Amino acid sequence: MTAISPPRKRFGITLGLVAWFGLIGLLLLIGLVSAFFVLRDGLVITNLSDSVPWGLWITIDLSSIALGAGAFTLSAMVYIFGLKHFRPLVRLAVFVGVIGYTSALLTLVMDIGRPDRFWHPWVYWNVHSVLWEITWCITLYLTILLVEFTPVIVETPLFDRWPRLRRLGHSIHRVAPALAVAGLLVSLLHQSSLGATYGIIKARPIWFKPSMPIMFIISAVAVGPAATMAVALIIEWVTGRKTVDHSLLRTIARFSGLALLIYTYIKFWDLAAVSYYAHSPGAERAFEILSKHTPYSFGFWVGEVFIGLVVPVVLFLVPRFNRNPLALVGGALAASLGIVINRWNVTVSGLVVPQDYFPGSGYQLAPGSYTPSLAEWGVALGVIGYILFAFTLAVHFLPLFPKGVD
Amino acid sequence: MSRKRKRVQVRLNRRDFAKIAGTAAGSAVAAYLVTTGPFSPFGSLKRKQISPEEQETIARGELRWGMVINLDKCIGCEYCLRACSAVNDVAPDKPWNIVMEDRTRTGRRYFFSRPCLHCQHAPCVDVCPVQATYVREDGIVIMDYERCIGCRYCEVACPYDARKFNWEARKDENPYVPTWGTPEVERRPRGVVEKCTFCAHRIDKGLEKGLVPGRDWEATPACVNICPVDARVFGNLNDPNSQVSRLIASNSTVRLREDLGTEPSVYYIMPREQELSS
Repeated sequence: MTAISPPRKRFGITLGLVAWFGLIGLLLLIGLVSAFFVLRDGLVITNLSDSVPWGLWITIDLSSIALGAGAFTLSAMVYIFGLKHFRPLVRLAVFVGVIGYTSALLTLVMDIGRPDRFWHPWVYWNVHSVLWEITWCITLYLTILLVEFTPVIVETPLFDRWPRLRRLGHSIHRVAPALAVAGLLVSLLHQSSLGATYGIIKARPIWFKPSMPIMFIISAVAVGPAATMAVALIIEWVTGRKTVDHSLLRTIARFSGLALLIYTYIKFWDLAAVSYYAHSPGAERAFEILSKHTPYSFGFWVGEVFIGLVVPVVLFLVPRFNRNPLALVGGALAASLGIVINRWNVTVSGLVVPQDYFPGSGYQLAPGSYTPSLAEWGVALGVIGYILFAFTLAVHFLPLFPKGVD
Repeated sequence: MSRKRKRVQVRLNRRDFAKIAGTAAGSAVAAYLVTTGPFSPFGSLKRKQISPEEQETIARGELRWGMVINLDKCIGCEYCLRACSAVNDVAPDKPWNIVMEDRTRTGRRYFFSRPCLHCQHAPCVDVCPVQATYVREDGIVIMDYERCIGCRYCEVACPYDARKFNWEARKDENPYVPTWGTPEVERRPRGVVEKCTFCAHRIDKGLEKGLVPGRDWEATPACVNICPVDARVFGNLNDPNSQVSRLIASNSTVRLREDLGTEPSVYYIMPREQELSS
C-alpha cells in the first residue's frame, strides 16, 4: 500500500481569499462572543422560556444531523450494497458527516443548562429515554466517522515522517465494511429517534404519532446525499478542479429525488390522517391555535412542501434540469432549507401550542411565543463560521477526492 | 434494573453538617418542648400515636403518597402557593403550585390549583437522559439536582406544565419569606429543572421521627398545612384507612388527563354544578 502525498500547496494571497477569511473570522468572533455571554449569564439571555424551552439551537442540531446523513447512506451503498461506483464520493460524505455532527454537538453544549455535565448520559444511563439513546448514538457515530476518516488524515504530508502510522491508518480500509454496518445501524437508530423525541410525547397531540420517526429518517436519507453532492459541485467551482464524475452526482440527485418522493408520500398520508380525517379535539385545537398565532400553514406549504419538496424533486428528476450542475446545487439548497424549516416547524409549533390539562372549560394557558434572541443568532452564526472554516481548510489540505484506487 | 431509587443524595461539608445537625437538634428539642413536652400549651394538638398497623405499613414500605384536592372547598386564596414558595424557596414568577380561576361546564366559577401530580407513569421520568428525575418507592417524583444536565426534555414532556427551569442564577429576594414560612431546602442552581417534591424533606424527616405524613404537620407538605378550608388532604394512598383513601372512596374524584395513562397521585373532587332552579 503506497500512498502518494499530494504536493504541498500554498495559499496565494488574493483579495477574495482575504475577504473570505475575514468573513469566517467575523462569524467565528460573533459566535465566540455569544457563547461567552451564554456561558457567563446563563440561558436567560435566550428567548427560550418554560413554555417554549427548545428553539433555534435544537433546529440546528436536528438539521445538521439530517444533512450529515449522506455519510451513512453512501457508506452503506458502497460497502454493504456493493455499489462501488459511488466510492469516489464516500470520503467527502464522511467529511460532511463529521462537520454536521460536530456542529450539532457544539450547539447542544450551548443549549443544555449545565454544559459541565455533558458527560452525564454516558455515566448515568436511562435506557428508557430516547434522548439518552440519541446521545449515545451520536457520539458513537461521530467516533465511527472519525475512524472512517483517518485514512484521509494520514495521507496528508504531515504523516510523511511517520510511515508506520500512515500504514496503520490505511489498515482501516480493511474494516471499512464493518464500520459501514455499525454506522448504518447506529444512524438508522438515532436519525429516527430524533423524530421519536417528538413522536412519543403523548401530551402534545400534533407530535404524538408513529409517522414522526419515519418521516425524520426518510427525509435525512433523502437530503443527506444531496447535500454531499452539492458540496462536491461547489468545491469544484471554487477550486476549478474536477472532483467527481458528474454522471455520478446526477445519480445521487435522482436517488435524492426519489427518496423525497417517498417522503412526500408518507407526509401526505400523515397529513390526511392526523390533520384532515382525525378531528381529534387536541389536534384540531392545536392547528387552530397555530394558524391563529403563527405562520404555520405558510411555513408548511411554502417552506416544507414547495421549497423543500416540489422544487428539489423537479430539479433532481426532470432530465432537462438535472444535467445542469447549477440546478443540482439549487435543488440541494432548496431541499436543505426545506429540512431546516421542517425541523423548526416540528419543534417550535409543537411547543407553542399550550398544554390542555384543566378540568374545567373556562381557563386555558396562553399560547407560547418564540423568536430567537441575539445571542441565539450569534451562536448560530458562529456554527456557520465553523462549518465554512472547516470546509476551507479541508479543501486545501485534505485529499477529499481519492485518485485512482482508494 | 431498578428504575426507582430510594435515596436522595445531598452533599454536605463538615461545617454544613454541624450547622444542620445543630439546628435540627435544637429545633427538635424546642419542638418537643413546645408540642408534646411537659410545657406544651397545645394539649389538643398532641400528635397521635402510630397504630401498630400503620407502623407495619411503613416498615413494609407500602407507602404511596398522594393528595386529594377538593375544588368545591377551594376559595382561591393562594395560601398554598405562598407557603410552598416560602418553604421550598421557589422563584416568585415560577411557582410550583398554581391557582387558577376556572369554570365548570355549566359555568360555575371555581378555583383550580395544581402541585406536581407525581405520576406513577411519569412522562418526565421516561424521557430524562440521565435519570436525574425518578419515581421513588413511595411514589414521589423527585429531581436529583446534582445530576440534571438541563436539557429540558422533561419540561417538554410533562403534560401538566409542572416543571420549571432555572434560566439564571437566582439573586431575588423571596417575597413570601418570612411571612409564609422559611426556606427548608436549598435554592436550585442555575441550569437545572426543578419541581414540586410533595415536601419530601418533611416526609423523610417526619418518618424518621415516627410521625405520620398527612396527619402530623411537621411531616406534611406546606400547601396542605396552610390551607384554611382543608381543601387539600395528604396521605398514604395504599393505606385504606388514611384520610385520602377514605375521601377517594366516598367521593367521585377525577385525575387530570387520565386518558394519557400517567397515573397521577393527585385526585380532585370537582365543584358542584350550578342548581338548575330559577
